[in-house]
Amino acid sequence: MFAGLIDNYTQQIIIFTGINVIAAFSFFAPFKTGQVSLGQAGFMAIGAYASAVFTQKFGFPFAVSLPCAALLAGVVGVVVGFPALRIKGIYLLLLTLGFGEIVSVIALSWDYVGGAQGYRNIPFNPRTLGYVLGVVVVLIIFFGRLERSSLGRAMDSIHQDETAAEVMGIDVVRIKLMAFGLGAAIAGLAGALYAHQATYIDSTTFNIMMGVEILTFVVVGGGSTYWGPVAGALMLSLLPEFLRTLRDWLELVPVSMTDFFPLNRVYDFLHEFLDFENAKRLIVYGLILMLMMIVRPDGLLTRDALRRFSWRRTPRHA
Amino acid sequence: MIYQQLINGLMLGASYALVAIGYTLIFGVLNLLYFAHGEVFMVGAFVGLFLVVHLGLGIYGALIGAMVACALLGVLSVFVAIRPVPKDRPLAPLISTIGLTIVLQNAAVYFIGGQQLAFPETIKQTLYHVGPVTVSSTQLFILGVAVTLMVLLWLFIEHSKTGRGIRAVAENHETAALLGVDVNRIVLITFVIGSGIAGIAGVLDGLKNSSVSPFMGLGAAVKGLIVMLLGGLGNVPGAMVAGLMLGMIEILSSADIGTTERDLFSFLILILILLFRPTGLFGTRTAEQR
Repeated sequence: MFAGLIDNYTQQIIIFTGINVIAAFSFFAPFKTGQVSLGQAGFMAIGAYASAVFTQKFGFPFAVSLPCAALLAGVVGVVVGFPALRIKGIYLLLLTLGFGEIVSVIALSWDYVGGAQGYRNIPFNPRTLGYVLGVVVVLIIFFGRLERSSLGRAMDSIHQDETAAEVMGIDVVRIKLMAFGLGAAIAGLAGALYAHQATYIDSTTFNIMMGVEILTFVVVGGGSTYWGPVAGALMLSLLPEFLRTLRDWLELVPVSMTDFFPLNRVYDFLHEFLDFENAKRLIVYGLILMLMMIVRPDGLLTRDALRRFSWRRTPRHA
Repeated sequence: MIYQQLINGLMLGASYALVAIGYTLIFGVLNLLYFAHGEVFMVGAFVGLFLVVHLGLGIYGALIGAMVACALLGVLSVFVAIRPVPKDRPLAPLISTIGLTIVLQNAAVYFIGGQQLAFPETIKQTLYHVGPVTVSSTQLFILGVAVTLMVLLWLFIEHSKTGRGIRAVAENHETAALLGVDVNRIVLITFVIGSGIAGIAGVLDGLKNSSVSPFMGLGAAVKGLIVMLLGGLGNVPGAMVAGLMLGMIEILSSADIGTTERDLFSFLILILILLFRPTGLFGTRTAEQR
């Protein structure tokens, strides 16, 4: 629907950034109850492969296969969530990491979904941009409502102290399981949207590093408020584009202004440095992650920071 | 045939064990999943390769050089990714070591390129036939170095004063500090030991596969994590035994079901252990479940 307004490249960037925001929300849902998952890429893979099979082999239209894929990922999420209830901390991290790897090994060895060759010729969906923006808006509204609801507060209390929450009469098991399943379903949405944009997926598309990246979106953005995942995913996905733009601006500087001793060296250095190929871009990305954790270990946005900008007059310790 | 497979499994397991030892040592004293450990392993392999190819050192020079370089890298990572990050937030040090992982891996890609490099044959190849089993001199060398290292480390941890400090800090930071253990120093020493061993493991891995690549770290890291869990978090002898076990299980199973499923098998083991015996096969040094 926006096809005439923006060029193809910009459209791609908006779509993949939007998918990253959705993926960040998929991590945020279980994280709100204190469950840290490295396996969200595995649920994305399930959504992606499921939607590819539904559309290509069963002939579903995309509008039907998208919710079906999310539902399937959500069901798997609840199944994985059951054992995940018993364990926490580093053990849960390892369990979800193992889950993600098992999904990718299955994708690698199951010939029905392409096996080692990957899944080719997934129908391209020309309206992905609209879907992505729609899902992002719905999720922001949903998590915004959730944060102010009693369910959201129950989730926060489980995050802070599970035993205390249980004593207060909160059904910890049900809520944790629901949050895990919800996160998996959202990841399934992200995966399905990805599959019909990229049109090709294989067992390495949704790898460990992608699961790690989704975790960093939320921690860097801030895990205490629903704007955190949005901010983190936007910042870390758009960072390379921003650095590229910086270089373009640098080239706008007239040569006469920098053509004397100290400045020309600085100019050359910056120009060389901003000439990003993938490896250099990722080095900068890693350095920024390290720096962020030193400067703002709670993430970019926290509830206190947001309150300062808020137009609602909420008391400080609400 | 079965004996041959057992020997091969032992070789594979020895390198798993060396990586897992570093993980479990660092997890023990810091209660932290040190994500960058696999990349330290990778850096060790490349330092070894550099020393052999460009400086013409023998394999012992490569091993010692890689150990020293990785120990320094361990110290550096403490100062850039562990100490400046607040400790009361469980995810912050994890993210900063993930950042370090990304930096190290891509620095390797940037300076060396994304492809595999051949690791030269530095040991004269001879094959020994003992009954039905065939062992190469490289295999014997790798096993010898790995076992020697493990024995030395075990003696160090159980019988030296610093080793006692490491065990004390692993059990409880505050109590250890109250009893006069310099916790910061112990953490640093733990990183030096763990990273140094990972460096040696990297060179041995290059020797075993005759190749090194900037992406070898992730696979080693994941296998190291499984072994750490199998042996019990923070349990060093447990990691040694579990590493050898996982290697043998993988080789025996891949003889039957193929190499793709081999990975599936080790992740299934990971999940079964997590569900039914989260303290690992041999128990953990740390009292409470975390």
